Amino acid sequence: MSDSFRRATGRKVVSRASAEEVGVVAHLLVDAGRHRVAAVVIGRGKKARLVDWAQLSSFGPDAVMVAEESALRPPADDREQAAADGKLELVGKRALTEQGNEMGRVEDVSFDPDSGALETLIVKDRHIPAEALLANGSYAAVLHPGQDEISGMRLSD
Amino acid sequence: MTLLMHASDISGRPVVTVRGGEDIAEVRDVVYSPESGRLVGLTLNKRGFLAGRRAEVLPAGQIHAIGRDAVMVGDDSSLADGDAAPDELAHPATERNVLGDDVLTERGVNLGKVKDLVLVVGSSGDVVGYHIDKTGGGRGYIPLPAQLAVSGEFLVVPDITEEFVRDDLVGLGAAVEEFRARLGLP
Repeated sequence: MSDSFRRATGRKVVSRASAEEVGVVAHLLVDAGRHRVAAVVIGRGKKARLVDWAQLSSFGPDAVMVAEESALRPPADDREQAAADGKLELVGKRALTEQGNEMGRVEDVSFDPDSGALETLIVKDRHIPAEALLANGSYAAVLHPGQDEISGMRLSD
Repeated sequence: MTLLMHASDISGRPVVTVRGGEDIAEVRDVVYSPESGRLVGLTLNKRGFLAGRRAEVLPAGQIHAIGRDAVMVGDDSSLADGDAAPDELAHPATERNVLGDDVLTERGVNLGKVKDLVLVVGSSGDVVGYHIDKTGGGRGYIPLPAQLAVSGEFLVVPDITEEFVRDDLVGLGAAVEEFRARLGLP
């Protein structure tokens, strides 16, 4: 059963040890090269914390479970800081083909909650396999869509 | 189908990394060699409000693709230091800018003034024609021969160019192949 970035946003993050809510999912940080969720970003700005995907107990349908609150950590580098600031949020990001043509905005991303593997990107009603994702930066998600996804695009002068 | 665009439309477009998804610069100007009919590269501005010129330039060979919405490059290393770049890119000679030149056929007919370059959208950066203000008024498009004589004032083109003046980019796209075939060009 696959989950989606949109559905996951706002989901409670709960400590298994204390049974307390330790935050809510702000968004999911992706590793574009490996087509996976790299970390869950909890909260925004200065208070933002991250949990690496490998540190999760379970990405459940109603709550994201962590062993204990200490699994949450502050951003460790520039990229994670950018993620904490919301700059790398994939949903809502402009989708550019590697040929420099805009396809629209990323509406949602489906993923496997067991493995963290990305499945499909939804860009303006088109379903694009996650393997097409080349990069996710602060400006754009860069995609290498197959011919099927490109056909139907209209280029004008 | 080949898609064409005006070179002037590239100015202001973001330069985006394929491997990072970051906008690292924006296009300031297109540098073009009329002798070879090819793009030499792009000069750059910094990204953002009130940002100035960047010292780095983007050589044509480092361009991954020129698209409708962005110029794509591999990563930061695709930009060349202004000092290290080929001279014609770092210091483009203004007299070789063809914009404003009168287009003269070999028998001396003035077709109009060059207003803009027309590029192929995609990876090649090929310049395939010129947008002109026709002598009699109105806009026109002419295909570009591989070699032609050019000065700061005139561009000399083969006589048959007169038969290939088109009204729009679609017409030019169709004319380019036939034009080149007639001239025995690849």
